[in-house]
Amino acid sequence: MKRQWLLVNLLVLVVDTTGLAQEKKELRWGTDPIGGGPYVYRDDHGNFVGFEVELADYLAQELGRTSRMVTGDWDKLPELLDKAPGENGIDIVLNGYELRADLQKQYPATRPYYIYRLALIIHKDQAATITGWGALQRLKPDGTKHTVGVLGGSVAHEYMKSRTLADTIDLKINPDVATVIGLVEQKRLDATVQDTPAARFYVKRSNSLMLADEPRKSGFYVILTRPGDHELREQLNRAITKAIRSGVLKTIYEKYGLWNEDQERLLYWAEHTDWPPPLEASAEETVDESAPDMKQLVVELLAAAGMTVFLSLTSFPLAMILGMIVALGRVYGAWYIRFPCSFYVEFLRGTPLLLQLYFVYYLLPKLIPGFDLTPVQAGILGLAINYSAYEAENYRAGLLAIPRGQMEAALALGMSPLTALRVVIIPQAIRIVIPPVTNDFIALFKDTSVCSVILITELTRKYNELYNFNREYILELAFVTAGLYLLMSYPLALLAQFFEKRLRYSGGEVR
Amino acid sequence: MIVVSNLVKYHGSLRVLNGVSFEVRRGEVAALVGPSGSGKSTLLRCINGLEPFHSGDIRLGQHLHLVGGRTPPHDTLLQLRRQVGMVFQQFHLFPHMNVLQNVMSGPVYALGRPADEAEATARQWLDRVGLADKLHARPNQLSGGQQQRVAIARALAVNPAAILFDEPTSALDPKMATEVMRVIDDLADDPHVQVAMVIVTHDLAAVKTIADVVHVLGSGKIVFSGSAQEAFAPGGPASALE
Repeated sequence: MKRQWLLVNLLVLVVDTTGLAQEKKELRWGTDPIGGGPYVYRDDHGNFVGFEVELADYLAQELGRTSRMVTGDWDKLPELLDKAPGENGIDIVLNGYELRADLQKQYPATRPYYIYRLALIIHKDQAATITGWGALQRLKPDGTKHTVGVLGGSVAHEYMKSRTLADTIDLKINPDVATVIGLVEQKRLDATVQDTPAARFYVKRSNSLMLADEPRKSGFYVILTRPGDHELREQLNRAITKAIRSGVLKTIYEKYGLWNEDQERLLYWAEHTDWPPPLEASAEETVDESAPDMKQLVVELLAAAGMTVFLSLTSFPLAMILGMIVALGRVYGAWYIRFPCSFYVEFLRGTPLLLQLYFVYYLLPKLIPGFDLTPVQAGILGLAINYSAYEAENYRAGLLAIPRGQMEAALALGMSPLTALRVVIIPQAIRIVIPPVTNDFIALFKDTSVCSVILITELTRKYNELYNFNREYILELAFVTAGLYLLMSYPLALLAQFFEKRLRYSGGEVR
Repeated sequence: MIVVSNLVKYHGSLRVLNGVSFEVRRGEVAALVGPSGSGKSTLLRCINGLEPFHSGDIRLGQHLHLVGGRTPPHDTLLQLRRQVGMVFQQFHLFPHMNVLQNVMSGPVYALGRPADEAEATARQWLDRVGLADKLHARPNQLSGGQQQRVAIARALAVNPAAILFDEPTSALDPKMATEVMRVIDDLADDPHVQVAMVIVTHDLAAVKTIADVVHVLGSGKIVFSGSAQEAFAPGGPASALE
């Protein structure tokens, strides 16, 4: 009897939860909180706030759903729509995505929920140099280019890239708005171009930042959806229109200081039959929208591959030298040398390269006043330090593989220990470790992609950048990128095989 | 001239050398014999400064002096090693260098001689040990006997006052061992090669032929010093080793 009662209870519970799930279907909206305020950010209590959080809550309520924030990398959010809805899938992208013709084709957009402009942010100390947008068309007084940071894949990125500024601007791409703005604050970038909501949010909170000119080139923030989700799109459009009409949107935007006269046009666009509109832009602001052909994209990828090769070729020799010094310290040093060398190796092997690059580029200059590195210098140093730990272990194995008698024979001839190491031990150890060191060199080629976090445009970064604006070539670009990596690493792989064979045939002794 | 006085050496708590004293003069060949583990090789390594010792002292000529229990000054150690060559059981040729480079390595890297001068010296010694036709061979292309002859030429090329041979034929088959011993014997008989030689070996037949004096080591001490004839006489101190 008891057992039957238990079963009935269980059944009721199951039916109940199913009912609940049906009642409270989620509206899963994709966002990248790293982008920060005023879109989505954490308040002093650690809760997510922001005008898009409130908008999502409102939309979910209007749609009879519960709002569920799903996080991802900003420039990959549209691809999340391609995933099957489930644990990691999303229903919409709601994160300051601008209305763009290329995106609209693949991920149809709703009516706009905000009208932004592009703002030029500078450090106040730069006010005399960068007086406005026009100043970017001239070189700096010292004859160098302006370094301008943009969010990779954003309209600001596309806009700055397409302006004829290649000779006067060195564009720095980063996936994180706060980081780029922080670098302008530290005067390590000359300027950044951001959408007005982010620009005003950060300028307001900083004593050293300012807008260099009037924001220009307006555009629409829209919600991206799956092509097949007509009904959801219609529901969202109705909810947005209602929010504009009822003043709910204005209330939200005023709360975050985002309401301005541009927003007065939202209702027109929400109801206008001819949506999406042609973008309004003056002649000098025109974005070059002619689609680049594949050849042009490959040329851009090749140029970025040049940076990958440069980073590898400069950092690896440094890593080898550092690694050898550390390995010698570990094998032949006194305890007070061995201990720090061991710690060096374990610390660097035990922490991610990404973090180390962050440390070298973003934190070291804060810790050591006057210490400043360009992104490329920081990239080379970071890669060299990271790989030196792995090389140290390779060399240590090589040094330990040399019979003790070799050192004794050299010492017995009257060589000093340092000469014995230089002439007898190290040359033999290096020959032994050539195959693993070559393998590490191949790995380094691929790890240079991590340098994109410190504003370096190498092959992977360039691929990301290009596919953002050329989603129709997404597969072709991926294949070309992979092919370029293969082209760079395969000869090295052959070299490693050659050395391995040579070692094997000479019975361990290298000729 | 090498003078070893009251040398004491421990391995952990084991007293390996227990007050060893002996002398070797230029042009003299001294053989150190004794049962395995009696400390013969350790004694050679102490003389060459490859191992420290706890008490006693070692003198080489007028100026070089190692004192037990003290770390010798870096320069003293370098000078000593340049004066005392060593030939190892396992040859220890440098595999990444060819024969000529191996023999040149001492003059060039230890003595700082110019390469052309070092090469001339190296060629001369390689010719002397019968390997003039192997100058550019790699060590792994040579037989064991040839490798040991290169090692002997390498030791001689720094013009030492003494050479220590640590079981130079133990890793060789009898034919090659004979070949190497013949080279050592030739050198010992050569009036132009005025070096003191100390040889540790189990090849007692060779000892009888080439040694001017035999020191028998037992329990970490020299228990006998005398001619080979006396040492290996029936009932003599080294007869049990045969």
